[in-house]
Amino acid sequence: MATVDIRRLVKRYGAEEVIHGIDLSIRDGEFISLIGASGCGKSTLLRMIAGLEDISGGTIAIDGREVNDVAPKNRDIAMVFQNYALYPHLSVADNMGFSLKLRDVPKAEIVRAVREAADLLGLTPYLDRMPKALSGGQRQRVAMGRAIVRKPRVFLFDEPLSNLDAKLRVQMRTEIKALQRRLGTTSIYVTHDQIEAMTMSDRIVILNGGRVEQIGAPLDVYDRPANLFVATFIGSPAMNLIKATARRDGDRLFAETDDGLRLPLADHPVTEGAPVTVGVRPEHLNFVSGDTAGALPFAIDLIEPTGHETHVFGRFGRHQVVVIHSERVAETSSAFVAIAPGGVHLFDRATGQRIERS
Amino acid sequence: MRSLISTLPGRVGTVLAVALLVAWSLGPIYWSLVTSLTPPLNLLGAPSLWPQQITFEHYAKLFGATSMSQGNAVQSVWPQFSAALANSLITSILATVVTVAIAAFGAYAFVRLEFPGRDLLFVAVVATLAIPAYTVMIPLYRLMISLKLIDTYTGITLIYVSAFLPLALWLMRSVYQAMPISLEEAAWLDGAGRIYTLVYIVLPLAAPGLIASAILTFLNAWGQFMVPLVFSPTLATKPLTVLIPEFVTRNYIDFGLMNASGILAIIPPVLLVLFLNRYLVSGLMAGATK
Repeated sequence: MATVDIRRLVKRYGAEEVIHGIDLSIRDGEFISLIGASGCGKSTLLRMIAGLEDISGGTIAIDGREVNDVAPKNRDIAMVFQNYALYPHLSVADNMGFSLKLRDVPKAEIVRAVREAADLLGLTPYLDRMPKALSGGQRQRVAMGRAIVRKPRVFLFDEPLSNLDAKLRVQMRTEIKALQRRLGTTSIYVTHDQIEAMTMSDRIVILNGGRVEQIGAPLDVYDRPANLFVATFIGSPAMNLIKATARRDGDRLFAETDDGLRLPLADHPVTEGAPVTVGVRPEHLNFVSGDTAGALPFAIDLIEPTGHETHVFGRFGRHQVVVIHSERVAETSSAFVAIAPGGVHLFDRATGQRIERS
Repeated sequence: MRSLISTLPGRVGTVLAVALLVAWSLGPIYWSLVTSLTPPLNLLGAPSLWPQQITFEHYAKLFGATSMSQGNAVQSVWPQFSAALANSLITSILATVVTVAIAAFGAYAFVRLEFPGRDLLFVAVVATLAIPAYTVMIPLYRLMISLKLIDTYTGITLIYVSAFLPLALWLMRSVYQAMPISLEEAAWLDGAGRIYTLVYIVLPLAAPGLIASAILTFLNAWGQFMVPLVFSPTLATKPLTVLIPEFVTRNYIDFGLMNASGILAIIPPVLLVLFLNRYLVSGLMAGATK
């Protein structure tokens, strides 16, 4: 168990800088997810923490001790790889006991530790099998087992579930989270799957182009995205974004689109005429009757029932919008929609940064 | 009916092609076998596909203490033959072991270690395959004389290793390139050093490639003629390939004896390939598919 402190971390491949000065403090026992599109630097960052990639600038410290020049094997870190990286010529038990054998742990002790981890992961019947005789989920568990037998200070996960089918992924997601809770080991989890990040993490770090866009608890990030990138990256279907200009009519503040649509704003500190982007999550748009205050005419293009909710795609004037409705929606071509109270996110269109209500 | 007619010429073609290939590769061996079983006098007549009369006298000449030759009791060639057989085995096995060991470690360095000029060096090593052996024979001979390595196992082995290493390196490099690096990374994180990872994780997985390199090197070394002809003048290191043609004397060419020893000489490589050939194929295929 340990803290991980990353200060002004930079990674360059030749002249190309791929990570631009990342700062991140991970608390003891925390489960933190690094999420971003492919090429955002999340895996590189993880591999730098593991010691598999050189550090071009800045520092990484584990438990307060700088590890920039410490070899991977001396960092006391365990990593679960995307392709599991099980040793194909060793049995499940030997795979799990490999690190202990290298540390000259007595044989009886290794057997005990492996058995304990196998019990925890439900792998006891498979200890004598070779990896190729296991299913994907079992291999995943062996990879986890290999990480936990040696009780490392930090777990690193590099998209560990992306090779599993959807059902198994959900199951393993829960298992990993429960296991981490139980062991209390600091964990850093790389994923491109926002559901994994949201459901498993204490905090998530959203990366984009080698920079941190936002760090925060999953629901904080969801409820108050720091900028347009986070707003569109987190949430599915993505947040609706409408370009507009801030207007004031007496003491009423609203955002007006170029086709005259008026979206009410709350007490956002914006000046008259400022270019803004209004963001509304699909679930914060509600179907209402036409005479309701703030009702916006909504032209429906497509209705996608998912079973427990319905995604309705349509337009406010010229603006593409999606609405999530918790009930089933009858085929129709137009309706009225209102924005739920507090459902408006406002962003400065020039900088993309969130404008918080005052 | 239609499909049968349309595939029939195809099948006949395939059968013909296979038959031709088998005849091409096994024909000489069969001829050799027949000759080795034919009495000397019959060898002078018209050649026949099947020996009229089977004799083991040529083999007896190889194995017996004395044997009959042209009506006279003569010393058998077993002492020479057995010495040359041992020499063939020793030089081939030594060359194979050393070549594969160096290739196993060297190719790993070419794949996983970063050092300046790595790729250039590799290309240079492989490019030596294009140099005909004859062009270096004389300088090599001078070199071996000054090192006092003529007619020694060390000398022959060194020459074989230098000749066969590039191919083995090349093969092992593609084997390592096809292996996912995450296995090695997992081992490093588990606490293993580079050498430990190579020996206990990488090499066991590279076994088919190692075996393929070993087979190729052994077969190459076993079949060498030019190098030992020059560098193995006496039975101290002279292999079968050089000894067998010496059964041609001024007055008499002992076809039967030559072919009998030839048949015996191909037994070790045939056994090797028979037992290990499945590794040969999978090793050579490494890197071809993901």
